[in-house]
Amino acid sequence: MRPFHVDLGIARAATLEAPSHDGPASWTEFRPTPMTATGETMPAILEANGLTKRYVLGRRMTEALRGVTMSVAAGEFVALMGPSGSGKSTLLQLLGGLDQPTSGSVVFEGRDISHMSDAQATKLRRERTGFVFQAFNLIPLLSVRENIALPFTIAGQNPSRGELKDRVRQVIELVELTGKEDHRPDQLSTGEQQRVAVARALVTRPSVLLADEPTGNLDYTTGGELLQALWRSCDEAGQTVVLVTHDARAAAYADRVLVIGDGRITDEIVLGRRVDHSAAPLISRLAQIGL
Amino acid sequence: MGLNRLAWRMLAARPLRTLLTMVGIGLGVGVLAASLTLGAALDRSVDRTVSDIVGRADLRVSAFLESGLSDAALETVRSTEGVATTAATLEHRTFLSTATGDPQAAVTVLGVDPATYPALHDLTVVSGTGFAASDVQVALISQELARHDGYAVGSQLSILGAGGEQQLRVVGILAGSGGVSGSDRVALVPISVARQAFALAGASRIDIQVAAGVDPATVSARLAQRMAEPYVLSSPADIAAGLRASSASFQGTAALIAAIVLFVGAFLIVNTLSMTVGERAREVGLLRMAGSTRGQVMRFVFAGALVLGVVGSAFGVILGTAFAYALAHTVSAATGVTAIVTGIDPQSALMAGAVGLGITILGAIEPALRAARITPFEALRARFDLPSVRRSRLGWIAAVFVLVGAMALVAWPPAIAGSGAERALAVYAVLLVATLLTPFFLRPLARLLGLPVALLLRLEERLARGSLARDRSRTTLTLGSLVVGLAMVVALGWSAQAARASANAWLQDVIPGDEVVSSIRPIGPDEGVRDALRQLPGVARVTPIGTFDLAYRGYRVDAAAVVGADFLADGRLHAVTGDRDAALRGLDAGGTVIVPAAVAARLGLHVGDTMRVALAAANHVDLRVSAIVERSIPATSGEAVLVSWADATQSLGVAGADAFAVRFTPDATAADRANLDATATQYALEANPVERIQGAVADALARVFGLFDVLAIIAVIVAALGIVNTLTMGVLERIRELGVLRAIGMSRGQAFRMVVVEAAVLGIVGAVLGSVVGLVVGAVMLVLGGGFAPVVGVPWLPIEIAVVLGLGLPILASIYPSRMAARVSIVEALQFE
Ligand SMILES: Nc1ncnc2c1ncn2[C@@H]1O[C@H](COP(=O)(O)OP(=O)(O)OP(=O)(O)O)[C@@H](O)[C@H]1O
Ligand SMILES: [Mg+2]
Repeated sequence: MRPFHVDLGIARAATLEAPSHDGPASWTEFRPTPMTATGETMPAILEANGLTKRYVLGRRMTEALRGVTMSVAAGEFVALMGPSGSGKSTLLQLLGGLDQPTSGSVVFEGRDISHMSDAQATKLRRERTGFVFQAFNLIPLLSVRENIALPFTIAGQNPSRGELKDRVRQVIELVELTGKEDHRPDQLSTGEQQRVAVARALVTRPSVLLADEPTGNLDYTTGGELLQALWRSCDEAGQTVVLVTHDARAAAYADRVLVIGDGRITDEIVLGRRVDHSAAPLISRLAQIGL
Repeated sequence: MGLNRLAWRMLAARPLRTLLTMVGIGLGVGVLAASLTLGAALDRSVDRTVSDIVGRADLRVSAFLESGLSDAALETVRSTEGVATTAATLEHRTFLSTATGDPQAAVTVLGVDPATYPALHDLTVVSGTGFAASDVQVALISQELARHDGYAVGSQLSILGAGGEQQLRVVGILAGSGGVSGSDRVALVPISVARQAFALAGASRIDIQVAAGVDPATVSARLAQRMAEPYVLSSPADIAAGLRASSASFQGTAALIAAIVLFVGAFLIVNTLSMTVGERAREVGLLRMAGSTRGQVMRFVFAGALVLGVVGSAFGVILGTAFAYALAHTVSAATGVTAIVTGIDPQSALMAGAVGLGITILGAIEPALRAARITPFEALRARFDLPSVRRSRLGWIAAVFVLVGAMALVAWPPAIAGSGAERALAVYAVLLVATLLTPFFLRPLARLLGLPVALLLRLEERLARGSLARDRSRTTLTLGSLVVGLAMVVALGWSAQAARASANAWLQDVIPGDEVVSSIRPIGPDEGVRDALRQLPGVARVTPIGTFDLAYRGYRVDAAAVVGADFLADGRLHAVTGDRDAALRGLDAGGTVIVPAAVAARLGLHVGDTMRVALAAANHVDLRVSAIVERSIPATSGEAVLVSWADATQSLGVAGADAFAVRFTPDATAADRANLDATATQYALEANPVERIQGAVADALARVFGLFDVLAIIAVIVAALGIVNTLTMGVLERIRELGVLRAIGMSRGQAFRMVVVEAAVLGIVGAVLGSVVGLVVGAVMLVLGGGFAPVVGVPWLPIEIAVVLGLGLPILASIYPSRMAARVSIVEALQFE
């Protein structure tokens, strides 16, 4: 039994029973979340401590985050859910070093990244993180292969040779786009475009992949394919994934779901690693907490 | 929301773009206003000069000899059929006696016929009276003389004459300079008084009014038959034409450049309005959804254009004043025709402003039509770029520019309408076609010329090239304007080079020596100067040249006495008709003349014709035209006809040589040359190597073309303003892309360089196309200007300048947009849709 409660300053702290590792799965078959050889939960790769973020627009001030503390373990698949405007995207951007918090800190691989210089942040984005956004991820004039290899090109490496070439090929296989390498983004369906974005985010083997509603514009089936690809990278290659989503069916791929409301983490739902990604249990949990 | 408010907001939303566009229009209007103001000033100056010179006379017969026209000659003129009124004038410069005036400053005394002079010349009397028929010993003086020396009506004027002082009474003061050109200290006296005072007969000149219905040309032909004395005939039309001709090509080129700057400015306007419509497509869609009509939408685009046009044109008129001063200064220095610019000429300002506004409105047509086609549904589309709305159609743009060309023709200075307009039209057509062809060259050229950049900045180059390919018509207009500006730099540079080369080739072709030793006084053959120079070491040949002028059928013709054998031996001169060798060999014996082609055309002479040169005392000498040569020795007002020393000294009154052409032996040393210079100095001569003479010619040309270069560079600057706009627009459109790129690890430096590289690729392509188009335009200008000769080499220097400008200015223009790209906030860019 691993009791755990969510956050500290939450209005409605929810303490949930985590599914036991040894007992039979109550609602579905699941596999344990990643553990070290000694059976410990993997150490946190990404931590947020008391994060706040304020946007000032003219005389109006928005408090997008009001004190978020959370952590993501290496190899974990975490979903962030919450209503529109609750601060999901803001949190994801801070976690990936795209923006700086008003207060609090983000510790990534043991390093505080919340007040880095732009050069340091660029290096971090190049080497340690991968991003997928809801739409318009791709550079229209570049082919699929060029888009995927873009992080290497940006870093000044030649992606058409040796190991990098293999890596590009591998991620193309992973997202099942073999044969479309030379297409332009506008020759692809929206789902395929998003898979290209995932491949590009994965090609550098980042420590964390951060995805902001990558299935937001996709229908059920194509969204499923994308999530499968994400899940495979996590499950097979140990890729850490943080996924922002509105959709419980997408969140159901995660090991753990953090629910955000009004700039705070209000709930945590542990689903564990499951081969079948049925959303039913998550939906019922969400229903319990009134979402 | 009011549509006008929307028009205003769309300009205010992009203040930089609006400002740059206004500056661009302003520069175009400014150059045009200046060119028109210059034209008006030149016209005024020519008219004033002509009326000062000949008044209302149809013809003027002037004395060729210093002794003036004899009474017999005056009588011949008066009795010539077709002559109605004549006014003989005796002009003499003298001084005033100390008692009554300033003895230091000369006075021009004009002896006029009180009865007929006022009929042909305006005499504006500001105080006192004019001449009365019975008056003697009276004078009318110019205002300037009265003011300077303190005379009033009734004053005594004491002039120095042949037999002492002459006392005259001032009866009237004439406005300004008294209607006499060339002097403002003028005293008009009855001609009888002048003759007596200076002990002269006849007159300096006689002005003629022909009888009604008689062609002045007929009268001049009759005069040529009847006049035995040497004389020079001129007519107001000839004088005006001569004055205009000397400034016409200058004015024509200035007008051409004005048209080009406006052409480039029009690109800027179309591009700006296109971008604005593209950006505002969504708002326009919403307006349409809310019930706005197409007409209203179009009106709002035109309202925006109007604001740009009015403010830009107003700015241009102010700029034009400054340009006009610079132009007037240069034209006066370069051609000797004074153009007085006291500010912008209101009519020119109005015309330039109207053209500026007209072009702006024309440029708005295509974007306005495109805005009107926006459907309400476009408002529902999420994306920022709406390809169908954003892209302008090149066909339309071509039509607009043809209209702009037509407008330029309307504004074309009428004084230079002839060859200038046709040359300008050809140049304009070449530039338009070149612009419309640029999109076809852009891709391959960008790829090829981007290669060296790609070696260093692979990613930036790739993205930059893609960005250029995004919006074909926008890139076309931007690149097109750069190409046009650079092409003008190359074409004008080439013209300058051609002018220099042909001047050099001319000197090389006609001067039989390496050095010209010149004297301010004629050196007679018995002075031994020629022998002294010839005996110096290293000197192969010394040939004397004596320049003078002669009178032929009322023309003053430049002439030079030369040794034909020396020209023959030195290999100078090229015959157009006639046998060069025979003509040169035969020249020294006397009785023949060698005529340069330009003079032969003016005088209507052919090989074998007899040129009857009028001499003093009704004598004459006949010279047979033995050859017509391509070019001859440069003289005061053109090229000289060549005669023998025998004729020159025996019949034509030439006292001696005023120059010696010195040819060195091939093994002459620098010391030999220095020695010649030293010897020349001993004889009070000035030695000038031919290269130095060429250098002086080149300097004079450089002054004129330097100004044209400045104007052409203005066109390139306007193009650079367009590049700022286009690159900025490119960054704004790609802001989301930039956000993504930055999110996956692009550094600020890379984002910055991406835009710089885009500008650089644009610049390299522009420089290459600009140079090629410039060569075509240059060839057109040279062929139509008649200056295309084999001596004209490839204009490497202008091409280098174009490349430097083509690379430098776009990169400079990219600083603002690239900083903008570097400063994009990732988070905001990602939210941007
Ligand atoms: N750049 C910004 N400037 C000002 N306010 C902002 C900015 N970005 C976000 N906000 C505000 O911060 C709050 C949180 O925004 P955020 O985008 O993080 O929400 P979200 O949970 O991702 O919503 P959605 O599900 O709609 O994407 C919102 O109220 C939003 O208006
Ligand atoms: Mg969001």
